[in-house]
Amino acid sequence: MGIVLPVLPAFLAACLEREPDAGPSTTGAGGPGTTGDGTPATTVPDSGMAVGTPANPVQQPLFEDNPAIESGLPQEDGPLEIYNWEDYLRPRTIKRAGEALGVEVKVTTFFNEEEALSRLASGEFEFDVWFPTSQRVPVAVAAALIQPLNLDYLPNLEKFVWPQLANPYYDLGSRYTVPYVTYTTGVAWRNDMVDSADIEGQANPWDVFWNTEYAGNMGLYDSFTDTIALALFRNGVADPSMATEADLTAAGDSLVELIDLMNVRYTIDGAYVGIPEGRFALHHAWSGDLVNSQYYWPKGSDITVTRYLWPAKSQGSTVSGPISNDTMAVPKNSRRPVLAHNFINYLLDEEHSLDNFGWVGYQPPQNGLTSEYLIGDGWVPDYLESALVTPEDFELPSAWVQGPLDPATERLWNDQWTRATSGG
Amino acid sequence: MPTNLQAAEYDTVGQRRWVWPAFALPGVVWLALLFLVPFYAIFAIAMGRLDPILNRPIPEWNPLYWQPDIFVEALGDLFGGRIGVVALRTVAYVLIASVLCLLIGYPVAYFVSRRAGRWRWIWLLLILAPFWINYLMRMLSWVNLLGGDGQVNQLLGAFGIEEFPNWLSGHHYVVILGLVYGYIPFFILPLFAALDRIDDSTLEAARDLGASSSQTFWRVTLPLSRNGVLGGLVIIMLPMFGDYYTPNLLSGSPRTRMIGNTIDQFINQTTSQGSLGAALTVLLMVFVAGLMLYYLRTINRSTEEARR
Repeated sequence: MGIVLPVLPAFLAACLEREPDAGPSTTGAGGPGTTGDGTPATTVPDSGMAVGTPANPVQQPLFEDNPAIESGLPQEDGPLEIYNWEDYLRPRTIKRAGEALGVEVKVTTFFNEEEALSRLASGEFEFDVWFPTSQRVPVAVAAALIQPLNLDYLPNLEKFVWPQLANPYYDLGSRYTVPYVTYTTGVAWRNDMVDSADIEGQANPWDVFWNTEYAGNMGLYDSFTDTIALALFRNGVADPSMATEADLTAAGDSLVELIDLMNVRYTIDGAYVGIPEGRFALHHAWSGDLVNSQYYWPKGSDITVTRYLWPAKSQGSTVSGPISNDTMAVPKNSRRPVLAHNFINYLLDEEHSLDNFGWVGYQPPQNGLTSEYLIGDGWVPDYLESALVTPEDFELPSAWVQGPLDPATERLWNDQWTRATSGG
Repeated sequence: MPTNLQAAEYDTVGQRRWVWPAFALPGVVWLALLFLVPFYAIFAIAMGRLDPILNRPIPEWNPLYWQPDIFVEALGDLFGGRIGVVALRTVAYVLIASVLCLLIGYPVAYFVSRRAGRWRWIWLLLILAPFWINYLMRMLSWVNLLGGDGQVNQLLGAFGIEEFPNWLSGHHYVVILGLVYGYIPFFILPLFAALDRIDDSTLEAARDLGASSSQTFWRVTLPLSRNGVLGGLVIIMLPMFGDYYTPNLLSGSPRTRMIGNTIDQFINQTTSQGSLGAALTVLLMVFVAGLMLYYLRTINRSTEEARR
C-alpha cells in the first residue's frame, strides 16, 4: 500500500500541469495506492507526493514529458558533470571511472540538499549525475528534477546490490534512482570517557544525552531534522513523521533543557572530528561518520575506545532510530544521460564501490560487502561493527525512515529548533 | 579656452563637466552589480512566496505583488519573539567587543603612529600581518590552540595550573575575545591613519600654551582622532553584527548564538524559512545602515566645522 501525503494540495495539478502515465499498477487519484493482489502500488501525484516506507513501499510515477532514454544508445563525449556533497566520492575512484569510461569527470559540490534542489530547479545547471537522499526522491520526481533510469544500462544493480535496495521502498523498481550508500543515526562515544553501560542495554539509549555525568562533553548535530527527531525518540515517539504539535513542543522543551543541563553544543563535525580530538566524549552520529572517524585520530591515540550504537537495534532498547540511504540519479536536463548511466553502473560494481568506501566511510549496499567481509578484511574495525548496516535493518519495526516535511510541518519543527538553538 | 557659449560645458579647471563624474562610473557599476542587485534579490525573496513542490522561497521581482507580512513576522520574532534573546546577545557581544577593541587598539595605534619612531613601519607591518591570513583560518587555529590538549592548556600546565575550563564549550568570553582578535586589526588601521595625520604643530601649540601631556591628549589628540575612532568602530561593528562562524567555531553552544547563526539556520538548514532569513537580513542591514549614517553625519558635521 502506498502513502499519499495530503500535504501539498496545489501540487502538480496547479503547478506542473503534468499527468502521470497510466501504468499497470497505477491507482486512482486521491486515495492510497493499492492493488488487488496486495503488491505495492503507484501513487498519483495530483494529490500528493509518492512517499514510501519499508512497510508501505511506493512506485514513483512516470510522466510522458519525462521519458527514460532508449536502450542501446552510444555513450556521449565527456566531460561528465557530477553534482555531489563535498568529500562524498573518492578522488581515486572518480579518476579510475573517468579512465574506464574514456572521459573527463568534473565534480561540483553542494553544501546541503536545499541548495542542490534550488540549483537544479533553476534549470540553469546541467549536471549528469546527482546524489539525492532517499527522502528527497519523491520531491525530485514530483518537481521533474530527475529523469527515469533505463535499467538496461545498469546491469550491476541487480548483480551487486542488496535486493531490498535494488527495489527500494521509496522507488520500487528503481524507476528514478539506484542506491549509493546506507547509514543509521545513533549515539557515538569514547568508552574511556563514557561508561558504556549508560548506553548499551538501556531501554532508551537516547536518554544518555540528558545524563548530567557528561555535561559539557556532549554534542548533537546542527541539523534540525536529525536533532528534533532525536528529541522525539528520547520522549518515546516511535514515528517522528506522525508527531503532533504537542510532541514537537515537548521535543523543543527537551532540547532547551539541554542548554543549561548539559551545556549542549551543536556541530556537524563533532562525531568524526570532535570525538577523536577529545572535544566530545559523546555525540549524535551518522554511522558513516563513525567509520570515517578512524582516520581523524591524532597519531599514537588509542583509537579502539570509539563506540557506536543504533538504538533501533540495541539489545534491551524500546525506542526507534533513523535509517536511510543516499541515491544516484540523472538530472532531467542532463546532456550526457548514457554516460551518466555508465558512470552509475561503474560505481555499482562491488569492487569500485568498495574502493570508494575506503575513503568515504559510508557503506555501499553491495551484496558481497557484508559486515563479516568488511571487518574480516580490515575495512572496519570490529569494535565499530554496530556502525555497519545490514539489509534486514531496514525491515526492523524500530527502524525509522524519514520522508519530506511539508511546509506547515517544517515550520513546526523549525519553530522548536529555533527555540532549542537560541539559548534563551 | 572655452567661449561663453561653451562655459556651461566646462568646470572651473577647464574640463568638460562629465569628466570628473565619469571617474565614479566604475564604482557605480560595481555597487550596482554587487550591492544593489543582490540586495534587491534578497528583498524579492523576503517578499516572495513558497514553491509548493520544493518548499523553497521564490523571489517576487515585481514590487506590485510584494507581501510585507514576512517583515511583521521577523520584527515580532526579534522584539520579544523566539529570537529576541539572540538579537540582544548579538548587540551585547558587538558592543563589548567594540569597547575592548577601542581599549586595546587605541594605545596600539597611538604608539605606532606617534611614538614608535623609526620602527613604526615594522610595527605597522606586524599589525597588518593578520590580513594575510584568512579570517576563517585564524579562527580554526584558535580551535586547535584552545582544544583540550591544545597549546593554551599546555602553557597553563607549564605554570603549574592544572584546572582550566573547556574553552570551546560555550563561553561568552571566548566568543567575544574571538571577535576582538578577529577584527581588531581593522580598527587599528584607520585609527592609525587618523592619528598619523594630526599635525605635530597643533600638539606643540597645546604644549606651548601650557597644557600637560595628558591635557594635550584629552583635549587635542583625542578629539582630533574622533573620526578615526568612529571609522574604526563602524568598520568592525558592521561585519561583527553579521558574524556567525566565530561563535560556530569557538563555541557551537546555543548560549552563544548570534543573529548571523539564526539567519544562516533559516537560509541554509531549511527551505521554507528562507524568506524569513531574507527578511532578517534586510532588517539587519537597515540596522547597520543606521550606524553607518550616524558615522557619515558625524564626519560631515566635523568637516563643516573645520571649514568654518
